[in-house]
Amino acid sequence: MKKKINGIFILPLLIIAGCSSDAALKTSGSTVTPASQAPATVSSRSAIPASAAPSLASKPAPSTPSPVALTQPSLPSVSSTVSPTTTSSSQQNGLPQSGYGFDQWQTGPVGDVFFEFDSSALSANAQEQLAKNAAWFGRNTSKSARIEGHCDSRGTSEYNIALGERRSTTAKEYMVRLGVVSSRLESLSFGEERPFDSGKSNEAMAKNRRAHFIVQ
Amino acid sequence: MKFTRHFISAILALCLPLVPLHLVAAPEGEYIIISKKGSENITLALNKLDVQRGDDGKVAHSMDLIIRDGLAFPGLFTILDSHVAVRDNSGINFSTPGSINAEVFVRGAVTRNAGNVTLEMKVYSIGEAKLLFSKTYRGSEKNLRSPAHAFCADLVERLTGRRSAFGSKIVFVSNKSGFKEIYQCDFDGQDIVQLTNARSISLTPALSPDGKYLAYTNYSTGRPALYIRNQLDGKSVMVGKSGISIDPAWRNSREVATTLSFEGDQEIYLLKSDGALYRRLTKSSGIDISPTFSPDGNNMAYVSERNGQPQIFIQDLLSGEARRLTFNGDYNTQPSWSPSGDKIAYTTCEKSGEFNIFTVGIDGSGLKQLTAQTGQNESPSWSPDGEMVVFTSNRDGKRRLYTMGSTGKNQRALLQMSGEQMQAFWSLFRK
Repeated sequence: MKKKINGIFILPLLIIAGCSSDAALKTSGSTVTPASQAPATVSSRSAIPASAAPSLASKPAPSTPSPVALTQPSLPSVSSTVSPTTTSSSQQNGLPQSGYGFDQWQTGPVGDVFFEFDSSALSANAQEQLAKNAAWFGRNTSKSARIEGHCDSRGTSEYNIALGERRSTTAKEYMVRLGVVSSRLESLSFGEERPFDSGKSNEAMAKNRRAHFIVQ
Repeated sequence: MKFTRHFISAILALCLPLVPLHLVAAPEGEYIIISKKGSENITLALNKLDVQRGDDGKVAHSMDLIIRDGLAFPGLFTILDSHVAVRDNSGINFSTPGSINAEVFVRGAVTRNAGNVTLEMKVYSIGEAKLLFSKTYRGSEKNLRSPAHAFCADLVERLTGRRSAFGSKIVFVSNKSGFKEIYQCDFDGQDIVQLTNARSISLTPALSPDGKYLAYTNYSTGRPALYIRNQLDGKSVMVGKSGISIDPAWRNSREVATTLSFEGDQEIYLLKSDGALYRRLTKSSGIDISPTFSPDGNNMAYVSERNGQPQIFIQDLLSGEARRLTFNGDYNTQPSWSPSGDKIAYTTCEKSGEFNIFTVGIDGSGLKQLTAQTGQNESPSWSPDGEMVVFTSNRDGKRRLYTMGSTGKNQRALLQMSGEQMQAFWSLFRK
């Protein structure tokens, strides 16, 4: 049974990881039924997609300088079970690591996910965080959230509102596929209107390209 | 002293290099079209306004300045001070303005009576040695701009055959108050008025062609929604749809288009000016935003990322067929259809990361770059006569509004205001 559930999840998740969000949206709803998702949220580990799984096992070598860590000097200590594993892809791309507690805006308990420029595709690291988020909603069934999509200041502002909504919607649909009831998650977009870091550095820009959760 | 200054300016004018004139006058409808070969300006000799009473001199001087600044604004004219004495009941000696190389001679008189002003203007073609038109304008002493600009509008329209920007309004966004609100100013950046006070985020204003409605996006409910403001009573109505709304544009004075996501995907819809949903225009997965319409309303240009990157498409609203317009660069947004109908201005993100404004023919030919190496330049919007473009630039640090000619020349700041200004929309509406 567990194997079958994983199989059902791996197919759409691989599509999300490898393709644009267009493809992800097209596959949603048709390949996975809500009934098959529900059990998965009970255990976050079983819901974590295979494509993200290697990052849990392989922690980055201590000697490897991490550009991600440099942008997070105030990263609070977290329990070892959710230790800050970093996927190789997010390191290469210079994206902040998913999670929470990185700045004044991100207070948790549901972690942000970050995106490439002009993209709403979910990285493996983002998928991993969304799986944790989905598990949290599985444990806290009375909670709901607004998912704000945000963009960096590059790009034009009208397009960024559209892109921000795509980021928000992509994050929401991923969590819905993991069993969170759709009505508990509301997606919206601030485009580039509410940056988390008003700096112009690449690190500041990267922090602003996020889907941000406001738990209600 | 005054005479000396005039004398010097006359001498300076005489010293201008003599260029061959190619002024062509031809009757077309009720207009007399005057065009010059190439893109030379029309040289215009402007007399100071005559006054009948000495105490009207101050009003005449103010009116002189408004007319002079107004005629200078479109960048169509080279204006020369002239001092042609015109005696009553006598003809004009056209050799005098002609001697300073002018093609058009403008003179007039202003009279003041109980708070009202009367402006009598006469415009002559020097080459043909004849009166082009004569018209009287009336207004209040408290608003000299109105009659002065009415004359400027008539003059430009008589000489070019096209409607002018005089009397038109520009709406824009400023964060002057600490919040992004919608403001309005005259075509020349004067008379700034704050239109919204939502203390939220207000964006992307668009005035209906008849000037009665302002459509804009506002975050007062916590999410971006379409608002339509009645310009007469100042009341705004929110269009109640779930999802978000982005970047409205008027197809005509009764129909406004905007992107809505209430059906899941972001698509462009047409709504009535009362906010009632009317028709869905796009059907492609992914982002479809920023509609702008051809003058006849039969075609719509917009941004679509159906190919993975934002590009501008044109859709025939009758057949529903869409074709891609932009192929230069991989991030093209913010289309604005010119009032003449033949061109679209838009913003490109260049490989260097710089944003610049381009124009392209609606058939995809004639790509032209209007801004370069002056910071981030974006959000183009055409003047109602198609002669100018208003846009946003951060060339002096913060984002401010600028205007330029339709080919990119004569770039200058539109207005002085604290905070940042952006997303200017130049309305077709004129007082």
